[in-house]
Amino acid sequence: MASVIDAAGEPIPTSSVLMSAAKHIEIKCRPENVEFLKCKKKDPNPEKCLDKGRQATRCALGVLKDLYHRCKDPMEAYVGCMYYHTNEFDLCRKEQKAFEKECPLG
Amino acid sequence: MTESVIRNKPGMASVKDMPVLQDGPPPGGFAPVRYARRIPNKGPSAMAIFLAAFGAFSYGMYQVGQGNKIRRALKEEKFAARRAILPVLQAEEDERFVKEWKKYLEYEAEVMKDVPGWKVGENVYNSGKWMPPATGELRPEVW
Repeated sequence: MASVIDAAGEPIPTSSVLMSAAKHIEIKCRPENVEFLKCKKKDPNPEKCLDKGRQATRCALGVLKDLYHRCKDPMEAYVGCMYYHTNEFDLCRKEQKAFEKECPLG
Repeated sequence: MTESVIRNKPGMASVKDMPVLQDGPPPGGFAPVRYARRIPNKGPSAMAIFLAAFGAFSYGMYQVGQGNKIRRALKEEKFAARRAILPVLQAEEDERFVKEWKKYLEYEAEVMKDVPGWKVGENVYNSGKWMPPATGELRPEVW
């Protein structure tokens, strides 16, 4: 289960993949995420925030795909380490450094 | 009889004159034995001991504080990552919920179609806010 993309080339948003890319998603998708949270705060009805949710998902999946195309091997190593250690950042520092050297934040 | 053979003194008149065979001190007596207290009064003073203990304690508490800072930073990193991916996960769940809710509304309309005066669908609370459905169901295939 520690693979970033499936057979069709689409990124799989599992927990280890999302947590590995979380720092990148936080920076690149900040406007979409903030809009979605504001919409939710205004009205928790799921039907009202579907479009903003789709924007946020599209942005996050785009970030995952972009990261995968730019630095495939460090990302796969990092995702594998996170999957093994159940998303503990502190146990994957080596892979995290290699990943962020290849694909720097921001 | 044996005593008189052992303790014989030549020229003794009777048993009463036998020399006494006793275990006694050596000639000149034993060496003197010290029995007086001699507890030395050197070593660290009370103030020195107190300051050393207080120093060790404060160093330990300082290290505790540093460790707490490090742990808080680690926790902040984990929570920031969770905050970043929260919208993706919530949006996913919203899509699934909307699909299931539509199915449920159709089912409710079909079940209650012969009941007069039943407004199908939104029959929840009167406050105007949206509340999640409180059916009390456990659906393990979803969870």
